[in-house]
Amino acid sequence: MTSQLNVDTIVDKAGSGGSNVKMANTSTYVSDGGNVTQNTVQGVAKHWINYDMASTTPRDSLNTSSLVDNAVGQYFANTTNAFSTLNYCINMTTNSYAGDSFQLGPAGAPKTNLGTDTTSKYGMWIYSNGAYVDAKYNYLLGHGDLA
Amino acid sequence: MASQLKVDTITGVTTAGSISVTGEGNSTTTNLQQGLAKFWIAHDGSGTPAARDSFNVGSITDVGTGNYKYNFSNNFNTAKGYWTLGTMAHTNDHNGTYVKLNMPMQADDVLTSSVEVSATYTASHTTGDYDYTYVNMAGLGDLA
Repeated sequence: MTSQLNVDTIVDKAGSGGSNVKMANTSTYVSDGGNVTQNTVQGVAKHWINYDMASTTPRDSLNTSSLVDNAVGQYFANTTNAFSTLNYCINMTTNSYAGDSFQLGPAGAPKTNLGTDTTSKYGMWIYSNGAYVDAKYNYLLGHGDLA
Repeated sequence: MASQLKVDTITGVTTAGSISVTGEGNSTTTNLQQGLAKFWIAHDGSGTPAARDSFNVGSITDVGTGNYKYNFSNNFNTAKGYWTLGTMAHTNDHNGTYVKLNMPMQADDVLTSSVEVSATYTASHTTGDYDYTYVNMAGLGDLA
């Protein structure tokens, strides 16, 4: 039997404010405009990082077990929970500069010449102004299916 | 005692498409629908573009070298009114090539039913669009 729950706010049972909600991967939601439904879990970001390449400790992150400094401007990120396949979707934006400014430069992730990607590891590089650079502001966002 | 609620669809009472969830800091609420990615795609941009995996992208139109149109299954509410972020990567060495992000080509390409993007590079004396092996794109905003 199909069930439907009508609510305005979701909080945990204690009612103290936290949202400790476990959601099945088949759950759907009504769209912003109210005309369609989409899968909720598919729309949730599964991984993100805000970090400075001068440090392997991220400023903040979700589902990130570690950052590995491979070389100047070249990092690996490892996720705590793996994706189900290699076909996950990582996007990034960066200032491409080792300080509080920016440069024209590329940013690539994942599947670069850095090497092996796995369902829980991908590489990224920042190459700017003729050299690899440890960019200060790097923002990674991951979507896809977790295992 | 932990409680468990099993449902297939969550709908707002006041507004069907608006569910609030409490933030991590326990002091604010944020809109669930607004925080979800409304589409994402990981695809090979070479040859005939084909999705490796995707969400709410019904098809890809190969508009030209490095140019792709993502056709949505469920449309956005307003043209030009949603957010996108794209990234691409090559399997080969990229030294000397400035890779620009995979972004909409122009405002008129950001439609409710599709978005057309360009994957471009700038080298020392050249620039152009390129069919990268790995092209990713995600978008947030209001669905219809």
